[in-house]
Amino acid sequence: MGLKSERSVFLIFKISKLLCYSPETLTTNTSTEGEGESEGAKMVKFLKPNKAVIVLQGRYAGRKAVIVRSFDDGTRDRPYGHCLVAGIKKYPSKVIRKDSTKKAARKSRVKCFVKLVNYRHLMPTRYTLDVDLKDVVSGDCLQSKDKKVSAARETKKRFEERFKTGKNKWFFTKLRF
Amino acid sequence: MFLIDLHSITQKKTHESISNRLALVMKSGKYTLAYKTVLGSLRSSKGKLIIIANNCPPLRKSEIEYYAMLAKVGVHHYNGNNVDLGTACGKYFRVSCLSIVDPGWYTLGSNFPSGFCAKMCAV
Repeated sequence: MGLKSERSVFLIFKISKLLCYSPETLTTNTSTEGEGESEGAKMVKFLKPNKAVIVLQGRYAGRKAVIVRSFDDGTRDRPYGHCLVAGIKKYPSKVIRKDSTKKAARKSRVKCFVKLVNYRHLMPTRYTLDVDLKDVVSGDCLQSKDKKVSAARETKKRFEERFKTGKNKWFFTKLRF
Repeated sequence: MFLIDLHSITQKKTHESISNRLALVMKSGKYTLAYKTVLGSLRSSKGKLIIIANNCPPLRKSEIEYYAMLAKVGVHHYNGNNVDLGTACGKYFRVSCLSIVDPGWYTLGSNFPSGFCAKMCAV
């Protein structure tokens, strides 16, 4: 138990170092926010689809994932805020110029997972990944093993496409901790 | 000749006003105390202002600040440790961070949280 909690704390430590924001801009928020009465209602929900998050607990701790669908008020089975995430189980390796096309293809493989995760076990980041996964990863895809496997396979395809375009580099790099 | 420590006097003055404002919110508004609930209020975008004590561990402080940055919610660093913040809230326990969900009667005065914090920041 102690080992698990240590690991997640260490994860958060590494995450805070890597998420690179400047604390100054945060504390001056209070003075710049005073632009009229409407600002009081301007709270932003950030646990929305396409948000990149880092899973903090469980087998996939330390892996980056994307929120596909969020259930803020929970469901009957899970009476807490949680979301359906699609994440990377195995990151693609670094592809260098010297690699042959066969090797490059092998190195750019991404292994994915689909999971329902409690909000508490996620660390939201400022990054987003707009890969359309809504049709692939639907509400019922976790009900049977084959549906789960096929959903993971589809997301793998989409993630690999995205990786090959070279965009969202942060998402496809392993979080070192 | 007296050496009047103006700085400490002004500090004390604004400090008192902070405590008064907090007391008003405690009495009439909605708030949550402590780390877990603060994060919860940020996730559900219910918090309007987060106050963090000065001896909050730096990792936790930066985590709360990061969440607040994502939620576009103001963070105020209280000029006192968790014991002082607990006392300011009128509680008999330590409070290292709290989240104001609904400022209660304070909304009638000036806009919140800028009005609340403006006096705090103007030390």
